[in-house]
Amino acid sequence: MHANPNDQTLSVQGINKRYGTFQALNDVGIDVKRGEFLTLLGPSGSGKTTLLMSVAGFIQPDSGRIMLGAQDITFAAPEKRNFGMVFQGYALFPHLKVRENVAFPLKMRGIRGAAATKSVAEALELVGLADKGERYPRELSGGQQQRVALARAIVFQPHLLLLDEPLSALDTQLRGQLQTELKRLHRAVGLTFIYVTHDQGEALSMSDRIAVMKDGRIVQLGAPSALYNRPANRFVAEFLGVENFLPERLTGRQGLLAVRASALSLAGKAGRISARVSDLDYHGAEIRYTAQTECGLSLRFNLSLRDAAHVPQENENVTLDWQEKDALPFPAA
Amino acid sequence: MSDTLRQEPTIVTKSLAWAVICYLVLPITVVVSVSLTDRPYLSLPSEGVSLQYYEKLFTSSEWLSSIWQSFVIATVSTAICGVLGTLAAIGCWRIGSGLANVVRMAMLIPLMLPSMIYALGAYQVWAGFGWVNTYTGIIIAHAMTGMPYVVITVSTSLAGLDPKLEQAARNLGATMGQSLRHVIIPNIRPGVISGLVFAFIHSWDELVIALFIAGRNVFTLPRRMWDGINEHLDPTMAAVATVLIFLTVILLAAEFFLRGKKR
Ligand SMILES: Nc1ncnc2c1ncn2[C@@H]1O[C@H](COP(=O)(O)OP(=O)(O)OP(=O)(O)O)[C@@H](O)[C@H]1O
Ligand SMILES: [Mg+2]
Repeated sequence: MHANPNDQTLSVQGINKRYGTFQALNDVGIDVKRGEFLTLLGPSGSGKTTLLMSVAGFIQPDSGRIMLGAQDITFAAPEKRNFGMVFQGYALFPHLKVRENVAFPLKMRGIRGAAATKSVAEALELVGLADKGERYPRELSGGQQQRVALARAIVFQPHLLLLDEPLSALDTQLRGQLQTELKRLHRAVGLTFIYVTHDQGEALSMSDRIAVMKDGRIVQLGAPSALYNRPANRFVAEFLGVENFLPERLTGRQGLLAVRASALSLAGKAGRISARVSDLDYHGAEIRYTAQTECGLSLRFNLSLRDAAHVPQENENVTLDWQEKDALPFPAA
Repeated sequence: MSDTLRQEPTIVTKSLAWAVICYLVLPITVVVSVSLTDRPYLSLPSEGVSLQYYEKLFTSSEWLSSIWQSFVIATVSTAICGVLGTLAAIGCWRIGSGLANVVRMAMLIPLMLPSMIYALGAYQVWAGFGWVNTYTGIIIAHAMTGMPYVVITVSTSLAGLDPKLEQAARNLGATMGQSLRHVIIPNIRPGVISGLVFAFIHSWDELVIALFIAGRNVFTLPRRMWDGINEHLDPTMAAVATVLIFLTVILLAAEFFLRGKKR
């Protein structure tokens, strides 16, 4: 990864933002590393956009600071920050051609003529739209518009790139393709990315680090593998797709035990939990079960058809078990 | 939308539509005919048509001076309310909250009040400023009463504009002024042009305020026509009216064309 010369460290220090009595950001602090792909992950309303907009300069925090290198930019005008941004819905200028859209930030910086033409051509090349320069945004598909927004946000060599759910409007297949492209682009330009999403799969597959947000706070910050294997609390575990939380009376130990559906398995007679199958779904080579224990707890487990000796049906009683290495203990909260 | 869903209008609908059109256009045809009269008073042509009143119109220094005065007043007041109305509409759009709606409603007051009330009020206030019987007085009054047209048309254009466009422009390095000039205005140009056309037409044929505020010095075209009717039923008036209609049609056609081009 070759570092961009513009790339200075961004540091968000204890920012708060209130709307009336509602606390949209609550003491949010984060040091963004040079050149990293940082993802803000959280459910709707958790403050991701508010945080990103504060960094971009469209929202002024009530307290706290935002530093770029040694410079305090908390109240700097958005146009003075030199941050690229890809907006949700792209916000391409409808009256300008693709080429003019990408040239816009250069024009605003007084860069014209051959230098501008060359930069625009390079940026469009980088996103694979070299031949679409003369089109208007409305003449492009969603994925192509997304790429134009990307080219426009990096053509002026910004300090960093902010992306607010850039792929959420696209269908699954295209999204997967663009995820790969974004990662390639991140490596190619060596720019710091701050990426907002509420899709945990996207966050896990693309990021160097993930900040999980809830109710205006960052509840956990770490590498994808760390989050996946050691979620800090039940919220993070649930958000990253852990299905089962076993209480003390089932496990005989203090607190909750988090077990993924994939780690809970059928166990003949020796299983530690007995339950009754209430629902089952076929998903290709695997069946996803929902079962109820006697005390009314709903559990999920998966069964691979390949190594199943017996396929339990609805209302059948089963016993379930897990391996200690697959289980995560939490304090009950 | 889809053409396949359109039904052929029934005979009733068609006749009704034509009746409405006739109702709207008939007075105009009368005025046009009267302007071609060969008699010395306001009447339909009897022996044959004559262009004498058009000749009179374009050679009379009084009528020409009124045309010129109305043109200057309409142009300057349109420029003023064009700039202010556009900026006000953009401001409301950016605020976007309840307050903006209140401001927008306030902007429409001149349209909702009978112009008589407005003229009376303006007369009182202008008298204090020494603006009665001056160009300044009537230009400012017309700029105020023309404002609603601009605010309405520009707001309508803005309603379809994504507020993120301005944020995008700022993020990409444009100052507030640059984003206004390079992003917002180009995207609402049709609305601005419509507003200017309506404001111009408004000032061009406004009579009540002109009667109140204009004294000896300012003699706008509608006022000259008014006097013409009251004093000597001069058919020149009909010629003026025809020219006015013609001009309005040209302006509306231009507006229609310019707006159509962008869509
Ligand atoms: N201008 C505002 N006035 C009042 N409340 C606001 C305003 N902007 C945001 N909020 C509130 O702040 C909270 C955080 O909003 P934000 O847009 O940051 O959420 P988000 O994490 O981006 O959610 P999403 O995934 O839905 O985009 C929300 O509950 C929202 O209602
Ligand atoms: Mg958001």
